[in-house]
This record gives sequence, C-alpha cells and structure tokens, in this order.
Amino acid sequence: MMLRALTYAILSFGSIITIFPFVWMLSTSLKSAREATAPALTLIPDAWRWRNFADAFQAAPFATYFYNTFIVAGTVMAAVVVTSLLAGYALSRLQFRGRGVVFAFLLATMMVPFEVTLIPNFLLIRDLGWYNTYAALIVPWCANAFSIFLVRQAFLTLPMDFFEAARVDGCGHLRFLTWIAAPLIRPTMVTIALFAFLGSYNSLLWPIIVTNDENMRLIQYGLTVFWSEAGVQLNLLMCASTIVIVPTVALYFAAQRNFLESSLNAGIKG
Amino acid sequence: MPRIRACGVFLAAIMALRCSPVDAPAANGAQPAQFRPIDSTAAVCWDRNTLETAKLLDAIAGEYNETKPEELPIKLEYLGNYGDIFRKVSLSIQARELPATAVGYEPMTSEYVVANAALSLDDYIDDPTLGLTPEDKQDFYPSVLETNRFPQFGGKMYSFPFCKSVLMMYVNKKVLSEAGIANPPTTWNEFLEQCRTIKAKSGKTAYAVSVDCSTVEGFIYSMGGNVAEGAVTAFDQPAALGVFKLYETLVKEGLAYQVQPGTYDDREDFAHDRAAFFFRPSSHRPDAAQLMAARPGDWMMTRIPQSDVSKPSTVLYGPNICIFRTTDAHQRAAWGFIKHFTSPKVSVRWALATGYLPIRKSAASDPDMLAFWEKWPQDREAFDCLAFAKSQPNLVGWQEVRTLVERALSAVLSGLKTAEQATADLKRDADKVLAAQQI
Amino acid sequence: MHPALTLGIAIVAVALLLATRASARRALDATLEWCDVQLARFERRPIIIAGMLLAVPVTLVTVFSFFPLLYAVYISLFDTRRGTYIALGNYHRALADPEFWRSVKVTLYYAIGAVPLTIVLSFVVAWLLFRITRFRSLFRTVYFLPYVTSAVAAATVWRVLLRPQSGFVNVMLVSVGLEPQKWLIEPRSVFHLITGGAIPADVGPSLALCCIIAFDIWHSSGFMIVVFLAGLSAIPRQLEETARLDGASTFGVVRYVTIPLLSPTIFFLVIVSAIKSFQAFNSFYALVNARGEDTQNLIVYIYAQFYENQHIGYGASIAVIMCVAIVLLTIAQWRIAGRQVYYE
Repeated sequence: MMLRALTYAILSFGSIITIFPFVWMLSTSLKSAREATAPALTLIPDAWRWRNFADAFQAAPFATYFYNTFIVAGTVMAAVVVTSLLAGYALSRLQFRGRGVVFAFLLATMMVPFEVTLIPNFLLIRDLGWYNTYAALIVPWCANAFSIFLVRQAFLTLPMDFFEAARVDGCGHLRFLTWIAAPLIRPTMVTIALFAFLGSYNSLLWPIIVTNDENMRLIQYGLTVFWSEAGVQLNLLMCASTIVIVPTVALYFAAQRNFLESSLNAGIKG
Repeated sequence: MPRIRACGVFLAAIMALRCSPVDAPAANGAQPAQFRPIDSTAAVCWDRNTLETAKLLDAIAGEYNETKPEELPIKLEYLGNYGDIFRKVSLSIQARELPATAVGYEPMTSEYVVANAALSLDDYIDDPTLGLTPEDKQDFYPSVLETNRFPQFGGKMYSFPFCKSVLMMYVNKKVLSEAGIANPPTTWNEFLEQCRTIKAKSGKTAYAVSVDCSTVEGFIYSMGGNVAEGAVTAFDQPAALGVFKLYETLVKEGLAYQVQPGTYDDREDFAHDRAAFFFRPSSHRPDAAQLMAARPGDWMMTRIPQSDVSKPSTVLYGPNICIFRTTDAHQRAAWGFIKHFTSPKVSVRWALATGYLPIRKSAASDPDMLAFWEKWPQDREAFDCLAFAKSQPNLVGWQEVRTLVERALSAVLSGLKTAEQATADLKRDADKVLAAQQI
Repeated sequence: MHPALTLGIAIVAVALLLATRASARRALDATLEWCDVQLARFERRPIIIAGMLLAVPVTLVTVFSFFPLLYAVYISLFDTRRGTYIALGNYHRALADPEFWRSVKVTLYYAIGAVPLTIVLSFVVAWLLFRITRFRSLFRTVYFLPYVTSAVAAATVWRVLLRPQSGFVNVMLVSVGLEPQKWLIEPRSVFHLITGGAIPADVGPSLALCCIIAFDIWHSSGFMIVVFLAGLSAIPRQLEETARLDGASTFGVVRYVTIPLLSPTIFFLVIVSAIKSFQAFNSFYALVNARGEDTQNLIVYIYAQFYENQHIGYGASIAVIMCVAIVLLTIAQWRIAGRQVYYE
C-alpha cells in the first residue's frame, strides 16, 4: 500500500514538473503585458485576457502559415508512410542479393547531420527549379532511414507463415502489403506518420532557406517573427507559442488511440 | 548491386562537378561571370522588416514603382533577421543566383565583396544623371556614408546607408530619483558613481547589460579609443582595456548584471524599475516609449557617457544596403530605389514611422521632423549624435571578431577572466582571425 | 494551382476516400492488382521487384542525405575562400584548432550527460507506470506531451522561465532562501559552482550546457518512456513472478529479469540517442542562440563555420570528421554492447 502511494507520489511529482512549462505558458498568455513580466509566482492571472490570442493571431498571418504547414506536413506524412512501407517490405520480406548492403547504406545516412546537407540540397533545389515551391519543402523529406528501419523491424516480427500463406492464395505484393501487412503493424505506421508530421511541422531552417515568398512561410517562422518583434510583449509571445503547440498536441491526442504501448515494441527486436 | 554502385558514382561525379567550389569564390584573378537575377521581371530586395514597418516599406516601394514604369519594379521579400538574410545570400552566391539588392551590416557586405557578388556603387553615385549631386553627397553625414567605403577593396563604396541609429543610454529617472540623483551621468566616472549610489541607496543593480559587440565598440569610441587600426585590432589599447575594466568593476561591486542574449529583458527590467540604465540603439526608443507609456516622465534616452565630454563619440547602428552584380536593368532599378529611399522626404517619412534616424543633415530643417522632435526631444539628441558617431570596422572577418568580443565580455561579466586576460586573449584571437582573411 | 499543391491535396483526398468509401477502396484494390500483375512477371527475379519497391525511397535518401556527404568530403579538400585545392589542409587545421577541441569536449559532455540520464529516468518512469493501473494513460500522455511540442516554442518558454532576474525559477529559489543562478548565461562549470570554487571554472560542463541537457531530457524522455512501456509489456509476466517466488527482491527482479529482457530495447535507445546527441542543434540554437564557447558543440561549430564565418571547406572537414566519429562509435557500441544483448 505504502509502495503504491509512493509510486503515485513520484509519478505525480514528475508529471507536475513535466507539465509546468505548459501551465505557465498558458497562464502568461492570458495575463496583461505588465503582469506577465512581473517577477511573481502567481499562476492565476488578475484578469483573464482572452483578447491576447486574437491580438497574437492578427499580428502575423498565422492562417497562411497554418495552411502551408498542413499541406506540407500532411503530404510529407503520407509520402513517408508509403515509401517506408515499400522499402521496409522489400528489405524484410524479399530475398535478393545486396539486401544487407542497401540496408546498411540506408542506416549510414542516419549519421549525416541535417545541417551539413543544407548547402548541397539548396543548390540542388535551385537546379531543379523548385525554389520557392512546395516541392522544395516536401520532396527532400519524403523518405528517411529511421522510418524505413522501424517498418522493416516491425515486419520482421510478423511470422513468415503469414507471408507464405498470402502468397499461396495468389495475393500480389502490393495488395498483400496494403490490405494485410500494413494493418498488422498499424501502431508502427501511426508512429512514423506522427514523427514525419512533427518533423515537418517543426522545421525552421530549411523552409526559410528554400522559400522567399511571405505566402510560402511555415508556422515556425511565424514564431520567430514574434521572437524578434514582440520581445516586449511576453504575453503575446506565449500566445504565439500556444498557437504553435496546440495543433500537434491535438494530433497526438487523435493518434493516441493507435499509439499504444506495443507501438515501438516491434521496432526493436529482430 | 554493381549497377546501383555505378549509378551512385556517376551521380556523385555530376554532383561534384556541379558544385565545384572553385568557381564560386574567386576573388583573385579574372572577374567571374555575373549572377543570375532571382526574378528576371523584378528587382528583388531582401529585407528584415516585419509587421507594420514592412507594410510601410512596401508602400514606399509601390509608390516608387509607379513613378518609374520604365524600370523593373522593386519587389520586397522579408527573410527573417539579418543573420537569415546573410545565410541566404551566401547560399545564393553558391547557386550563382541573387536578388537585386539586400540589406546587411558592413562585415556581411565585405563577405559579399570577397565572393565577388557585390557591385561597386561608385559608378552610380558619380553618374551625372542617375547619381547623387554634390549637394546630395554633402547632405549625408560623412560617417554614415564613409562606413560603406571598404579600405581593403580599393576604398570603393560597396553599400549604401539604409536605416541608421546610434547607441544611446536609456535612463530610468524614477530609479535615479530614488537614489537622490537629479541628472543622468555624462561621463563614465559619473556613471560608475551613480551606479554605486543607486546600489547603496536602493539596493538595485543599476545597469542591465545586453552583451553586444556594437555596444562595446560604442563604449570604446566614447572613451576616445578605436577598435581597429588598419587590419589589426586595438583591443590592447587603453580605451578597450578601460571598457572591460569598467565592466569588471561594475560586476565585482554588483552594479551590473547580464541579461539573456537575444532577449529584451533589459528593457523589461527597466520598465519595472528594476534597472536604472540600459544601452541600446536609438531605434529602440518607440519600444521603450510603449513600455513606459503610462508614465512618460519617468524615463529618458540620452547620449552615452563619455571620457571627454568635449570630444564625444558613439557607435552607429543600422543596416546598409548593397547591390549585387546581376544585370544592368536590375542594378539600375535597385540603385534608383535606394536613391529614392534615402531622399530627404522619404528618409524623414521612414524616420517618423520607425524610430530610425533620418540620415541627411537637411532633415534638421524639415517641418515634419521638427514637429516630431518637438514631441520627442530625445530623438533630436540621437540625431545630433550622427555628427560624431563612428561605425564598426568594415573589415573582412569582422563578423567573426564580433563573436569573440561578445565572448570576451561574457567571460568578464561571469568572472571567468579578468579584464586584462580578456582583452589580451581577445586581441590575440581577433588578430589571428583578421590575418587569416587577408586575400 | 501549383502542381505540388495539387498533388498534396490529391494524396490527402485519396487517403480520406480510402478511409470512407468502399468504392474507392475497390478502385485502389484494382490499381494495386494491376501493379501486382506487372510485378508478377518478375516473380523469379526478386531483385527487380525489390528494385522497383526501393527505387523511390533509396533515390530520395541518396540524393538528399548521401550526396551531401560526398559533397562535404569533396569540398573539405578546398580552401573555399580562395578557391584553391589544399588536400588535407582543412583536416590539419581542425586538429590544431583549440576551438574545435573545445567543441568536441562540449559534444562529449552533452552526450555523457544526456544519454544515460534520459535513459535511466525514462526507464524508472516507465517501470513505475507499468506497476500502476489507474491514471496510467493520463500520466503517459503528460510525459509524452513535451515530445510533440515544437522545440522552438518550448525553448521560448524555458528561456523565459530561466531568466536570471525575473524568471520564475529564480524567483522561486529566492523565495525559499536559495541563491539565484544565471542559468542559460552561466559559462562557469557546474562543478565549480557546486564546490564553491574548489574546482576551476573551466573544468566540466557549464551550467548553461546543463540547462540544455535538462531541456532535452524534458523534451525527449516521453519518447523513450513509450518505447520502454512497449518493451515492458512484452515481457512474459510469469518470468517475473517465478523470480519473485524464488525469493528475489523487487530490485533483484529488475536487475536480473527485467533489465536483461529489456536489453534489446535499451540497446536500440542507446544507439539512436547517442547518434541524436552528437547531432543536437535545435535546443542549443533555440535556448542560447548558440553564442558562448561553453555551449558550442560540434554541430553548432560547423554551422558557424558554414553560415556565419563563411569557411565552408573548413566546416565541411569538421563535418566529415564528425560523421566518421559517429560511424566508428556506433560500430563500437554494436560490437561491445551488442554481445550483452539478450534476444529471446
């Protein structure tokens, strides 16, 4: 009994620390500018200024940023799911010469830090004529080694009989992959979809480099506008942070049902 | 598998040829080919303004475009802060495709010159029809204009003043009066004494320090020194040492504290009467006024303290603008816009709306400007500083030196190094950086 | 409308249709079947089928991740400012550059601090979570929350919380009678601060670096907790119960049953997070603007050489050194730790 109470106490303490920055962010976003910068420990605003959110939303074209971000992140998410599924399947269930080499090659690209790829990728985007287009924001991120790795490992945990049985029934590779194999590793698929979306949603450097147009900007840029311009208005800065954070949290809640404990289990074994 | 490998090698070879590093930065030898314009139908200008000021700039450009239908139109593109613009120009130089013009600080321009991307503006400035009249040239404050002349590149003009402000001291009069002080300090000795008095009387830490290289440069200038002579830094000279010693004393006695870089915490602390002084360019005046809107009588902006009040100095802030070597049409359009933007009327209009300083002497007799100064006499004081303000050195590699200066100051502020150690290390490292840049 | 935009909308629309419409399902099924028939012609030569499935992903990864590495290797042989070939000059320069070695030190401090701490903390939380029944999903959601928030937005909040003068953390410290700290702008080592100056200020990670480590633990432990929960739920219950019946203490069960059975999970996390820790950039950039030397890791240094100081060739040589180091380290981990891993 004591032990159970202690467990709950530790977990509660940890979660309070974890969630505190968010609580504080929300509380500050509802305070007046003066109250927000006062060195006080209060979390309840004197007056709840919901207007702050309207002000913040108007200060920068957030609607445009969100529109672009959802198109880019949504497409990247869909593409990563498809490419990872195809590659993961080929690397786990097809027997061919050089499979190990291809897999090792893919894993090796994980070692290349993103910042190093900036210059050559920028030059390539220029040469392809994709500068200032959605293609520049989307295509480079449509496949990644980590997602392929997770899908491959997930497939490896499924018993081989499945595959054999389906093939004997005359089910082709793609139909088998789409209707039978993918649903079986649904948690893994949800996980890589979520990661792909988050990665795209949170990118900052690359979008600034490959776009010019105000109409092509993504959401993280909107936050940096606030950083430099609204430094005086801490409450509005916190509003902007909240606005940026809410969609991914909502997405997480939506995906959570599938993002169950078994989700990454598959990825590790084998 | 061998097939894949062959393809890989082939593609890699193409890639390597395409990105040959030899063709991009070739400062020595023949003039490489010019750069493709990023937009063949418009003269693109990369700028950092956002929100309201961006709207005004768009309006000014729009009006200008209407007056010059025969030229390429100016198209403004906003790209984050100066660092973002610099990175993006650098990458675009690699891709050999550039906007017509972009804003930036002197050290950035010198990098563009090294890469052979910046256009020397002397031909335009001296052009009988397109250029500036002798009266026009006289109308600019010399220091504002001269900072765009690069001694390492034949003393040519590679950029033009765009937005200017000067380092000023912001004073919280309420905190001063709490300590029984009537007037803000005019000399550094007074400054130090007032900080001590404030500490003794009210227990407050007087000076909120935002670590910034230009501020250090301004302090050194105001102590009668210089930061570089030729291509050698002067951080070992008495003025620089004096500045670092001042900071050392301030921190040791608990009279100053550092705020987080990249934030405006100094302004906030100031507005909450937690600090008496902060040093920022005059362009921060509108923000400070907004913070202190409820009690405008409690603060002021004034010239930074000096060692010798009869020979004052401070540092210039604000970006210049440079033109890239694209096509004649783009270059001409860009120059036309720059000339228009810096013309007396527009320069005053920009100043009234943004808090930047008008960069021409004639602004002093402009009726709108005079009416504005009636309301904000402190801005008049900042404008008067233009007569003696000095810019940062426009040497290749100074961008890197700036980081070193800020690190040196942080080290002193946190007690990691003494002023002597910090300046000695700074001198050694900064000279090494500058020497390595000699091309 | 832009083609990519159209494509994006089309993909999303197709996905939506798939989820709802049986007819769309049938249409897709027919398309897939047609593709399968085409593929079936190569049934005896699986390498061709694999090639078709792998073509797009492998091309993308090659073009956008692997070529840049080749480019870095190539350009690292040049003095890019002067446009001259200098062979290994940049590498010699790096090895003699004190700032390079300081960045190596910062990178190692960060890795040594962040990787084990995150793993241990996540394991403890996951293990505790696994013992309880009520509120488990609530706790899990809370712990995972930081992971789905943008690092830039979260770092903005942290920066304000950690402000030296009026930040919440310092105000709280002062209110309970403790000394306020300079947190993100403190370049002195934590050992120096803890020992009251007995250890020199430049030995050990700076307090600012420790704040970054704390931020990353906060930001990424949610991911690891979920992974650990996955691993824990896969352990057969009876194994632990048998151990308990044999008289093992709770700690003993963890030590001799749970951890060995989780070793593949731990191994996976160590490898992935070690690579990630070498490549950490966003938190450094968003929290401290990547300014001080005490918070300059290798990536930040490469970034500064590339984009601030315009020494592209030099930056590339450091990047290559780093990539080689990561590969060697990963292989070493695989060799050494891989043997300890217990597979069922």
